[in-house]
Formats: sequence, C-alpha cells, structure tokens
Amino acid sequence: MSSPPGNVDSQPMTNSGFGRILVALYAIMAIGATARSVFAIATKFDLAPFAYTLSAVAAAVYIVATLTLARGDSGSRRIATACITFELVGVLVVGTLSLIDPDAFRKASVWSWFGLEYLLLPLALPILGLWWLRRSRPTR
Amino acid sequence: MTGAFATAVIAVALVMVVWALAYAALNRQLDHPLEIGVAVLEVLLLVFLVGGVVQMIQSPLPFPRWEVVAYLLGLVIIPPLGLAWASGEKSRSAMIVIAVACLMVPIMIVRVQQVWASV
Repeated sequence: MSSPPGNVDSQPMTNSGFGRILVALYAIMAIGATARSVFAIATKFDLAPFAYTLSAVAAAVYIVATLTLARGDSGSRRIATACITFELVGVLVVGTLSLIDPDAFRKASVWSWFGLEYLLLPLALPILGLWWLRRSRPTR
Repeated sequence: MTGAFATAVIAVALVMVVWALAYAALNRQLDHPLEIGVAVLEVLLLVFLVGGVVQMIQSPLPFPRWEVVAYLLGLVIIPPLGLAWASGEKSRSAMIVIAVACLMVPIMIVRVQQVWASV
C-alpha cells in the first residue's frame, strides 16, 4: 500500500499510497457535511442554530483538509496539520459534550456522538490524518 | 426509488466493490473492463436520478425534495470522482479508492430510501 521508496525526495507525498485513500475519505466527508449543513441552514436553521453552525464548520474543515492533503506541498502540509488538529479537538469536544449533555445536541451535528452517524469516520479521520502527515513527512 | 431498480443498482455497486478489492488484493492496475463496470454503474445512477426526480414530481407527498435531490446528485458524482482520483495513482490504493467510491452507493441509496420512506 505504501508507495515505492525510490521517488521520495521532493515528491508531494500526502496524496499517494495510503494518502490516496485518505483524500477520498476526506472528500466524501466534505461532500456529506457540506450537503447536510447547506440543507439544514437553508431549511431549518432556527431549530438548532448551534448544531447547524457546527456542521458548517465541520464541512469547511473537511474541504480544506481534502484540498491541502490532495496538494501535498509544504505549505499545504502546514495548513492540513493545523486544520486536522482543529478537527480532532472539535470532534472530541463535540462528541464528549453530546454524550454529557444530549439536550444541547438534540438536533445532531456531524460531530455528535463522535460522528456515529458517519460510521465514526469523523473520529477516525483526524487520527489517521495526523498519523499520515507525520508518516509521509519528506526526509531531508 | 425503493423498488427493484434500486436493489439492482445496489447489487451492481457491491459487485464493483468486490471487483475493485479483488484487483487491490491481486495488485492489478485499473484496466478497461473495470472502467466499463464503473461506467455501467454511473449510467444506472443517472437513470436513478432522473427516475427519482420524476417520481417525486408526480407524487403529492411532501418529500424533503432538496434533500432527496442532494442524495441523488451525490450518488451521480461520487463514482466518476473516485475513478478520476484513482486513475492518477499506480499503487493498489487506487483500487481501494474505487472500492470506497462504489461502497458509498449502497450506503447513500439506503439513506435516501430512509428519507423517502419517512414521509
């Protein structure tokens, strides 16, 4: 699954090998979260402004992570690292809060229950993402 | 939307998942038959999109129309996106990307059917 060791130097690495799959999974979450938040905000924002805003934030995070991981140059790596770190904190905080205080999250956001509605992908992705960013770091 | 055609689309998508995973296991590259398989799935999804919209327009029930359309459009764009993204890659990850893209089809069809049935 990892790419051949020959072309490591100066090659953008976040988007090949396992990264190819990771970007695909991020793209799916980007599409899902964007569609969900646009729909929710357009049709029923007043019902749960907080949860729906949160979904929109998650959507933005997924879009940025998808694009930066797909580009894979050094600037993109920095943005991806910051973005995915934020994503990890977000999903952990929101996931925990949704368990402690279900009333505040009666209308679900993407990150509620650690993203259970999305097969826990929202919990797995930032962990895999940060691992992959370390793993694919160019060796100088 | 919930009939035999949807079941057939799910079956074709699952065949594509197994096919792509088999290629990944055998370390085979993207070839013409696999591309045709994805194309067949895509044609079925386009029919599903048109059929779903027509069925919804003809029905007096208050479907959450935009939500249904969003799912149907998502279904149509995901397999070609997956194929395009996989075609730039020469490792077995490419086949897993195609498998993931095709696996999204049954998941999203089941979801849109739940939305459909909840009206």
